[in-house]
Amino acid sequence: MNKNEGKISRISRSLMNKEYSCTEITNKYLSEIEKLNPQLNAYVNVTAEEALNTAKKVDEKIAKGEKLLPLEGIPMTLKDNISTKGIETTCCSKILEGYKPIYNATVWDALSRCNAVLLGKTNMDEFAMGSSCETSCFGGAKNPHNTNHVAGGSSGGVASAVGGNIAAYGLGSDTGGSIRQPASFCGIVGLKPTYGAVSRYGLIAYASSLDQIGPITTSVEDAAIVFDAISDYDSMDSTSQGRRQNATDSLKNPIKGMKIGIAREYLDGIRDDVKSAVLDAAKVYEQLGAEIVYFDLPALKFALPVYYIIACAEASSNLGRYDGIRYGYKTPKYNDVNDMICKTRSEGFGREVQRRILLGTYVLSAGYYDAYYKKAQNLRGAIVKAFKNAFEQCDLMLAPTVPMTAFECGKAVSDPIETYLTDICTVPVNIAGLPAVSLPCGFNSKGMPIGMQLIGNSFCEHMVLNAAYQYEQSVGADIFKTPDVGVSL
Amino acid sequence: MKYEMVAGLETHVELATNTKIFCACTTQFGGEPNTHCCPICIGLPGTLPKLNEQVVNYAIRAGLATNCEIPEISKMDRKNYCYPDLPKAYQISQYDKPLCLNGYVQLSNGRKIRLTRIHIEEDAGKLIHSHGDTYVDYNRGGVPLIEIVSEPDIRSAEEAKEYVEKLQLIMKYIGVSDCKMQEGSMRCDVNISVRPVGSDELGTRTEIKNMNSITFMTKAMEYEFSRQVDILESGGEVEQQTLRYDEVSNTTSSMRGKEDANDYRYFRDPDLVTIFVPKEKVEGIRASLPELPDQKLERYINELEIPENDARLLVKYRKVAEFFEKASEGTKSPRTAANFIIGQIFSILENDSAKEDFEIKVSAESLNELIKLIDDGKIKMNLAKKTLSKMLETGKAPSELIDESDMGGIDDNTLNELCTQAIQSNPNAVADYKGGKTKAIKALVGFVMKNSRGKADASAAEQKLIDMIE
Amino acid sequence: MVTHDDILQIARLAKLSVPEEELDALTKDMGEIIEFANTINNAADDGEAFDNINNLSNVLRPDEVAPSLEPQEILKNAKDSENDHFLVKKRVL
Repeated sequence: MNKNEGKISRISRSLMNKEYSCTEITNKYLSEIEKLNPQLNAYVNVTAEEALNTAKKVDEKIAKGEKLLPLEGIPMTLKDNISTKGIETTCCSKILEGYKPIYNATVWDALSRCNAVLLGKTNMDEFAMGSSCETSCFGGAKNPHNTNHVAGGSSGGVASAVGGNIAAYGLGSDTGGSIRQPASFCGIVGLKPTYGAVSRYGLIAYASSLDQIGPITTSVEDAAIVFDAISDYDSMDSTSQGRRQNATDSLKNPIKGMKIGIAREYLDGIRDDVKSAVLDAAKVYEQLGAEIVYFDLPALKFALPVYYIIACAEASSNLGRYDGIRYGYKTPKYNDVNDMICKTRSEGFGREVQRRILLGTYVLSAGYYDAYYKKAQNLRGAIVKAFKNAFEQCDLMLAPTVPMTAFECGKAVSDPIETYLTDICTVPVNIAGLPAVSLPCGFNSKGMPIGMQLIGNSFCEHMVLNAAYQYEQSVGADIFKTPDVGVSL
Repeated sequence: MKYEMVAGLETHVELATNTKIFCACTTQFGGEPNTHCCPICIGLPGTLPKLNEQVVNYAIRAGLATNCEIPEISKMDRKNYCYPDLPKAYQISQYDKPLCLNGYVQLSNGRKIRLTRIHIEEDAGKLIHSHGDTYVDYNRGGVPLIEIVSEPDIRSAEEAKEYVEKLQLIMKYIGVSDCKMQEGSMRCDVNISVRPVGSDELGTRTEIKNMNSITFMTKAMEYEFSRQVDILESGGEVEQQTLRYDEVSNTTSSMRGKEDANDYRYFRDPDLVTIFVPKEKVEGIRASLPELPDQKLERYINELEIPENDARLLVKYRKVAEFFEKASEGTKSPRTAANFIIGQIFSILENDSAKEDFEIKVSAESLNELIKLIDDGKIKMNLAKKTLSKMLETGKAPSELIDESDMGGIDDNTLNELCTQAIQSNPNAVADYKGGKTKAIKALVGFVMKNSRGKADASAAEQKLIDMIE
Repeated sequence: MVTHDDILQIARLAKLSVPEEELDALTKDMGEIIEFANTINNAADDGEAFDNINNLSNVLRPDEVAPSLEPQEILKNAKDSENDHFLVKKRVL
């Protein structure tokens, strides 16, 4: 059986051994992007010059015989809602066209300081609002396993690029599943860290109390390496705490005796192929010496509406600032200031974004606040408590990532509620601020990947990734398999 | 029917911190447009606020100085409204858990104006309208404010004036704000209604926004009071609305129509965490408070025996009070220092703001030295006054202005000699005096004073001269 | 029941203009979404308000000045500016 290897340490080793130079590998990625991106639509902005400049710096370092940092010289990508100084950052919205931030997001600051090679910015649902990447003003990113299917959302571009091997890894953001769902659809690994583990400074906000940045990779080891690199305390983010424990060091710990819980609610309404793949994975864990325990978590029943109410309320406030005055799109014709603002917003925001702004405004407005927003906050407290109780019965929880596999392009946008339902398994951990990793656990009959998620208690990324790694090592590259496109190492 | 005014004030006070409330930009007044700005205070996408600790401390200080309770738990909320001067389209403020609750300020007539709350929030930027175009400068955006909200306990424009002046004085004393209304660092919204005297009910109120001068505030309140009384007397109903005051015409007019009424959609700011204020912190801040104006006034009157009117003048300006206390330290009577300050020193300070700034060349130590020379009988009052004038001009210490020889007055022999000289040199005056013109003695006293270079005691000289002539 | 007026009122608060021809469709969509949100009405909760996710408190910044940015930087992304101010013209027709 072939093991699924970490890409990051492999490239790093090759650079150090001078198998190829950083410029060579960067060029290889750039030319594969040129070839594949027209089909995948993963990148919305390729930063070749920036990438090659960094590669040159790395090569000079290698020539001098200096040691490389873990992520140094590794070609990667960022979701287009992570602020990059001087590089257009649009959230794939017309309203931010031409916007070049004058500061760096903390995560990008950290990565660029260790010479991460930024290949470009990747596609996403507009302002991260969507489950298919199709609300992007640039059109959706496609699934590398089958380009008639979506890559998922909202971090669809990162997942498409990483799954299509035109980036070694990428950073996405997860508000209600936006890292895990596309990772699941594309058959790769996506980690949504504990709320507060990774700085949000510079991440263009969708819903501030739910948003987290995290890695999308082709292996668990890569996810751990990237997580360790970006999870520092940041004084610029009041909600930042940093990681509690290094994840890379814990990967190889045995999981014998670990208690893995399955909440029955997570299996309700799940498509059969997905359900059986997840239950097969549970068997793998049993073989690895873990104990599977079942319980009920009734508080999850309301997670989806609670999520939409809170996320949209926060979004309606976060997105108020796009008024055409300081940055981004400004309507060309208007009668007065108020008219300018209204026209700019109506022309600049897409339909789904406007819908969510309206819902958020509605649930916060006088007369409705108590029934919706306040009630949702109370239920959020109840969900937090329910997970707390659950983690007294188990160490980790296992659940499907998405109730289905990647849908065909164009199928998501028609019915908003139907689309919202695809988030049913992912939103609970955002509501409770917990860490969760999505990793592949099989393929359906059409060859589309199925994903499962491991959910941990707060700041237990090291445990989540440890269990994920053990599974990955056990099932190998038959399941952790990306299509044979892009850069092969 | 007789009506009374029922008014409550919302007073915005800019805090004298070094930096803005959520970023490290300076709060300095003025500056070229958009030079005190950073990604955070212009609300660039992705930026996050970080609360300035000093803002919390200052607000608690203000609360304690106005008899507020400080709850243990407080939080920040977003007040959502879209306007070009508000870069995030929400103002970070406090809604249902402000830092300070239930205080009061007592007026000189003994009435207590209750304070509902004091909360912290950020200021907006500045809009400049020119030919219909709007120019935006965000230098003020993010400057920390406290909003002091009173109950509707104010019954006249006079009371409102005293209330605002009192707040101003307290805030300056505790060092949390310079309260300069002309620079906008203090401004008021007035909620006002009227009711028949003796009634307990509240009438429909109107709100007059953004008063940045006490004079105009009282005028606006008086105008609005009579406008509402006129409406009621003619059988009409007061409409609840937001008003602006026009200083030129001395009238109020509606700012926005009902359909534009705002719905601020307050909710907790998820980017900021809970503010926890332990009891020990509150007590620490309480212990660090200086003596407040009311306490000072009482002490000056009762302990230092300063006449009430004088005491009020000294307490009215923080720097003056501090100067007075240093200057009078260890002197026989604090009234001497008080008299010098209110008399000679105030006479060179033209207006209120000059007294406020109290920038004079004389140090309190120098005045103290001068008063001690008087106390010790080393110099006489008239020489002291002259010396103080010179001190105010030159900034020199008394020791630099008074010779050794000037000090200690003159002995009896010298006085005898000077008096004899005076009589011999002014035969006419002596004759006049003998002829019954008793005032002629003044000319002789003047001679003695002049020749003693002011050191002689005028009344002693007069007595000696009279004795000699008679 | 969500009405046209409700939608127009929220749109006014949210500074969005709703074209006449989209009002019907939007009202219908919003009606469905709000009905979906209504499912929480039946949920029992213990009335305990949620605080913040990791129960953090007192994350504060010392009152120390750091340099601001140059106005050129601040104004860099503005569509219109003049004399170092952001500018909104009275009207553009």
